Order: sequence, then structure tokens, then C-alpha cells
Amino acid sequence: MTTATATVSGYLKQKAPFFSGHEWITLGIVLLAFAIPTLTANPQFLSQANLILIAATAALGVYIMLRLDLMSFAVPSFMAIGGYTVAVLSLRLGVTDVIVLGLAAFLVPALCAIPLGWLILRLKGVYFVLVTFVLTEIVQLLLFEAAPLTGGSNGLVGMPAVRFFGIELWDNSHVLLTTTGLAFAGFLITAIFTRRFRYEFAAIEKNDVLAESLGLACWKYKAMAFAVAAGVSGLAGFALVNMLMTAHPTSFAPMSSVNYITYTIVGGKGSILGTLVGAILLVSATDYFALRGELSPGLFGLLIIVVTLLARGGVIGTVTTLVRSWRGKGMRPLADGAARKAPKGGA
Amino acid sequence: MNAAAEIQGEALYAERMSKAFGGLKVFHDVSFTLPPGGLLGVIGPNGAGKTTMINIISGRLAPSSGQVRLGDTRIDGRPVYDNAGRGLVRSFQQTATFSGYTVSDNLRSALRFARRDLSVLERLAPLLDQFGLVENWNRHAEVLPYGLQKMLGLTMALATQPRILLLDEPAAGLEKSERSNIDAYIGFAQREFGCGVLLVEHDMELIRRLCPDVIVLDGGRLIATGSPGEVLNRKDVIDAYLGGGEEDDDAEH
Amino acid sequence: MEGFIATGLIGISLGSQYTLLALGFTLIFGILGVVNFAHGGFYVMGGYVAYYCTAMLGLPYPVALVIAVGSTAALGWLFEVLILERVIEDHQATLMVTMGFYLVMATAILVIFGAESPEFSFPLSGVWRAGGIYFPYANMVVLGVCLAAIALVYWLVYRTNVGRAMRAMAEDRAVAGALGMRTKVLFPLAFALATGLAGLTGALVTPILALAPHVGDPVLAFSFLTVILGGLGSVTGATVAAFIVGLVEAYAAVYLGGSKGALTLFVLVLIILVIRPQGLLGKEVRRA
Repeated sequence: MTTATATVSGYLKQKAPFFSGHEWITLGIVLLAFAIPTLTANPQFLSQANLILIAATAALGVYIMLRLDLMSFAVPSFMAIGGYTVAVLSLRLGVTDVIVLGLAAFLVPALCAIPLGWLILRLKGVYFVLVTFVLTEIVQLLLFEAAPLTGGSNGLVGMPAVRFFGIELWDNSHVLLTTTGLAFAGFLITAIFTRRFRYEFAAIEKNDVLAESLGLACWKYKAMAFAVAAGVSGLAGFALVNMLMTAHPTSFAPMSSVNYITYTIVGGKGSILGTLVGAILLVSATDYFALRGELSPGLFGLLIIVVTLLARGGVIGTVTTLVRSWRGKGMRPLADGAARKAPKGGA
Repeated sequence: MNAAAEIQGEALYAERMSKAFGGLKVFHDVSFTLPPGGLLGVIGPNGAGKTTMINIISGRLAPSSGQVRLGDTRIDGRPVYDNAGRGLVRSFQQTATFSGYTVSDNLRSALRFARRDLSVLERLAPLLDQFGLVENWNRHAEVLPYGLQKMLGLTMALATQPRILLLDEPAAGLEKSERSNIDAYIGFAQREFGCGVLLVEHDMELIRRLCPDVIVLDGGRLIATGSPGEVLNRKDVIDAYLGGGEEDDDAEH
Repeated sequence: MEGFIATGLIGISLGSQYTLLALGFTLIFGILGVVNFAHGGFYVMGGYVAYYCTAMLGLPYPVALVIAVGSTAALGWLFEVLILERVIEDHQATLMVTMGFYLVMATAILVIFGAESPEFSFPLSGVWRAGGIYFPYANMVVLGVCLAAIALVYWLVYRTNVGRAMRAMAEDRAVAGALGMRTKVLFPLAFALATGLAGLTGALVTPILALAPHVGDPVLAFSFLTVILGGLGSVTGATVAAFIVGLVEAYAAVYLGGSKGALTLFVLVLIILVIRPQGLLGKEVRRA
């Protein structure tokens, strides 16, 4: 064995951990939400926590598609499919078990996304953006038009409380527990999915032509991501419908997709923690400054422009960069990389 | 020749390939055969259709007529990833790596996408060492000097253990001193992996050094076949080079 | 039969409006490679500027139209130069800034003019009748102005040097750039032209349809539908598709009722995507 072979063998034994620190922190924060009901009974606070968790889970749909360099406006569509699935199951068929409903809220949107993904993922990225945007408008119309199933403009009201192994989850704190459970499921699925296929996704994002030339069937991964993103959005739809006890078209307004995109971009699209932090910051800001609902789009728009022009990594990306530069450049091969010409190695 | 014997590959056949974009014919009736484990040079002035040819063979473009076969299997118009899975892998003229990823992660990605075991890298170790990639193992691809990036891209193609390598101007952009890396690369691919190599190249010295046979393209037509020594002295070949267009190759990408 | 013809006239008039919007949209995509999410915002702005000029300043409507076009074109030009130009190479970023700008525009209009729909009606009322066929004068004027504007755009794109340069950019930016095309001049110009068209459409159409801060959303969705149908970046494709969209919408509204028109269109678009992913008149995509 030559020294080079030994060196390479040594390198090959290094294994990157499956979850990075960001995944652990994110999952930890979401888990902490289970403790909120034991700390406070303030309905204001509980509802705020609910809204944040739902927003963050919905924004995961954007985060997943961004792994593949695709901007998705389809989140409200799949939230609606998930939410209405739950409403129909509980109101019409009397299903109240939270686990059954959760599975349905994930699987039905995911299954809907497969033929749709096949249709639009063959197209260039720009078409994908346009089609997902149009899709949210259409689903909105369908919710109004398909009145026998969806209740039309009345929506589906008076849903019974969900049950967890027979225990009825009915009051404010129970609702938050349900939301937290769904959010945790969404974050866990997203974390596992995006880390499991991180090489594939990163390759497609950075250079899909090269990835294909090495044997990667890019469309399969895109279709899979689209389906999982739809499923996770469906979980958020379930949580929203459960909180409101109503499934109504206005909960899934087309322009709300912009909010989810904003959470992900402003928080930092490079990490799952960014999506959570973005949702926490922006949902709280909307509430804290007592902004009237109609003003928050302007704030979001401004933030998007500022982040895109000045801090591409969003909050988390910027903080990470700052922390790294504080630690000194000794640890970063990137910092002094470009200038140094690599010396030739002998054979 | 030890490993070459155990990986007995199939020949690559191009049969009367033609390609037109809109009404514009860029490629007429080109046929050739690359025997298993063989090395065939492809030369021609800029705009002769060399990269178009690689795009057709790899599956990125479908030919307008004619066919490409790997052994008995017809592969033209098949998705690129399918053909890569069959052992037909191309390299790119420009540097092609995944930016933001280290040398290590780039190589690991290549192995993953080709469903190869990590141990392939141990076999490649002498080559990786010679190119200077081992000492840069944990550096990001995009901060490496151009020559190293190029060798990384080529090594990624080789790491998939292809049966046939389509090399699109591997020496382009390399300094003179770095070009011996290409000799080592191709030699290694043939000797250790038994690869057949289709080498598109502008560097005539390199072609003369390595290729027993070359084909010459001009204006999308095959104008000559034979050994470099004989072909490069033919009058029509010399004329093609002297009168060759200034425009760069391949309007289609 | 008369009803059928009258509906057709409405459809054509709708189609001409969508054409103006889609032409601007497709020009921006073809030339700059940018999907302009702010397009609906410029439409709304055109409407409000025209409303302000007529209702608040008492200017005659034609003057208001000119001011609406001028101001939307000017804002478009400024936006391109000051913001979009900085990120023009990154398609994701261009999407984000145009979307952000749309949100800012819509909110600004809301703050300035309030959420209520203002009283803004077309200065010309009355209906032209021939037998059982009727067609409002207002729609007639809108149709006339739109057709004139479409003709102007075609003349500009196909008959002038600026247009030729723009089309060359759309064909191949790298080559056009290498040939010395001045993107620094052409990009803002093309963007201003497109936003001016959106502003014109808004000023013309909002008095007939509706004026409110949020009316840009469906406009954006319809522009998207049109360019998907016609083929992104294709001028003729956008025109053909816009008239198809207008006619389908008009007939569906009369014969199917409610929002069935939009659903019909969506089905149409889905079918097109299956058969011709590049749109009716789009070219084969070069880069997969």
C-alpha cells in the first residue's frame, strides 16, 4: 500500500454526521413547544405559538424545494388539500384519531403531487415557478366550486376535537400540543429527507447537467421532493384547520404562499433552522408591532429585497458567517484558499 | 493489461449520425467504431461539431437520424443518466465540479450517483496524489486553481468506473506543464479500468502522443480516418484547419 | 347567435387587454431572463395614477392615460437600474426582488389610497347596438387603444434597431453581449416599456373592471397562464394565447357561469403542458 492510498483510506474513514448541529437545534426548539402549556395558560401566547409552528411547518415546503433550486408557490394548495382531507374525514366519516388524520394529511397531498410533479418538473425552473403560482389560484377556485365536498364559501365548520389514543384534545393547550406534534413530525421528516439525499439535492441545485452525466436521474429526486414538500405542507394544513376548527378557502389564500417564502428566505434558506427562525421572528414581529394585517406584506416585501441584495444567507447565514469570522480564519480553508496555488504532488 | 482483461467491455458504434437544429445541419452521416478498451482521437477545427457529437453520444441530444449503439444496445436519445448507468460517461470542456463542496464530497457524490463503492477511491489514490488532489482533500472545489478543478472533474468521471469515457477537450485551459496529467489519466483509465476512450482534443501533440487512431471532423462531416501521423499530413485536413471558422464550437448550449 | 357574437366581442376586448399585459411580461422574460412578479403591481399603479389624475386633479382622461404610462414606465426604469440590475445574473434573486417590490407597491397603494375601491368609472358610457349585438363604447375604446398599442409594440420589436437589439438579446444574451449590445441601456429600456404597458392596461381597464389595491394578484395569475400557454419569451405566442384566454374566459363566463372560465383555462394549460411543454409557440428549450 502506497502512502497516497493510505492517506485516502484514512480520509474515507471520516464520516460526516447524519444531522448537522442546525438540525439538532431546530428539532430541539420544536420539541420545547410541548412544554409551553405547562408554563403558561395565556391564550394569547398559546395562539401565537400555534401560529408560529404552523407557519414554520408550512414554510418547510418552500425549504425542501429550494434544496433543488426550485421556488415553490404551491404550499397553500397542498395545505388546503391536507386541511380539507382532515375536515372531510372527521366531519363526514367521523374519523378523529390524530394519527390516522395526520397520515392522511401527509399522504393525500403527497399522492396528488406525484402526477402534478411529473407534469411540471420536466419543465425549466421558471415554468415550475409559474405553474405552482397558477396552481394556488386554481385550488382556491376549486375550493369554492366543489361545494358538495368542500362546503364552498361556507367552508366546513364545526369539526369535532381530535383524539390521541382515545383522549380528546379539545382545549387551547391541547390544540397547541397537536400542532406541536404535527410540526415536529414535519420537521423530522424534512430533516431526515433533506439530509438523507443531501448529496443528490446539492448536486441538482449546483450543477444538474454534471449530476446527470454521472448517472443521477434528477427528475426522480425532484418528484420525490415535490411529494414530500406537499405532504409536509399538508401537515401544516391539518394543524391550521384543527386550530380554527374550520376548513375555509380564505385560510389557504394564494398570496399566503409569499409569506412562507419570506420566512424561509429571511430566516436563511441554507439551513432548516432558518425556516424556523424566520417564522418565529416574522410572525412575532407582525404581532409585536401590532401591524395591521394589510401592512405586513409591505414589511415582508422590504425584508425580502434587503435580504436578497445585502445578506443572501438570511439571518442564520449571516450569523453563521459572523461566528466563523470571530473564531478566526485558522479554521476556515475557504478564507485563504483562492490565492494559494496548490503544489504538485509526486507520484 | 491485467484489469483490462477482466472488464471485457463492449464496443461503441456510431452509425450515420446526423443532427440538424431547425433547418441548420451541423452534423452529417458520421460513423465510427470505438473498440472495447480502445482509444480514438477526434480532431477538427472549431465549429466542426465535436462537442455536438459528444452531446449526441452521451444522450443529451437526440440525433436527427442514424444511431448510436453500445454493443448490441441502441442508446441514442436515451436519458444521459441511463447511459451513464450503462457505463458511458462524459467529461466537460469547462471545469465541472459541484461548487461549495470539498474535493472529498465531489468525489463521494460521483460514486454515489454511479452507485459505486467508496473503495474505488483507494484504487484511484495514486492518480489523485499525482494531480495534487489528496493534499487538497478538504478544500472547496471552487477555490482550487483551474487545472486542479479540471482534473477533479475528470477524476469524478473516472470514479464512476465507466466502460467508455467521452473526454471533451480535457487539456483545454491547462498549462503546458499540467498536460502530462492527461497522459497519466488516460493511461490509468485504460490500464486499470479497461476504459474505452473517445478523446476530443485540440492539442495535436497530445493526440500524436496518445492516439493510435484519429477521426477528423470538419463542418459536421467526417473527412479523414487513420493514424495521426498519416492523417495530419493530408492536404484536405491541413486545409480544413487553415480555413477553419473562428467561432467557438457548439451554438447549441 | 347575437349573444354569441357579443360575447365574442367581449372576449376579443379581454384578449387585447391580456395581450398588452402578456407582451410586457414576455418581453421582460425574453430580454432580461426575469420573471417579473411585480407586473400586476404596475397594472394597479396605472389604475390609481389615472384615477388620481382624473378624480383628484380634474385632468381629462386621455391626459391621465399618458401620465399613467409615463409614471409606471419611469418607476419600472428606476427599479431595473437601482435594484434588479444588481442581481440580474441570479434568477432566484430576480424573482425575490420583483416579488418583494410587488408587495411594497401593493402596500404603498393601500396606505395612500385605502383599502376601499375608489369611485372610478370610464368617462364614456353607453352601448353600441346593431340588431341584437351590443358592445359598450368603453370596451370599444379600450379595444382600439389596446390594438394600437399592440401594433406599436410589434413595430418596435420587429421594425426598429432597438427592437432588433432586444430580440438579439433574447436569442442569445452571451453572443449579443459579445457583439457589443449595451445591456446597461437596453435592459432598463425594455423593462420600462413593459411596465409602461402594464400601467396603460391598468389605466384603461380598471375603470371598467374594478380598482382596488389587490386587483394585481389575478392579473399576475392571468399573465402567467398566458405565457405558459403561449410559450415563455415568445411575442407571437403571447398574443395568440392572450386572445385564446380572453375568448375562453368570456364564453365560459356566459355559458358556464362563475369561475368555471378560469378552471377551463387551467385544464387547457394542463393539456398544453402534456403535449407541448414549451407552450404553443415556444421554442425547444436549449438547456435542459
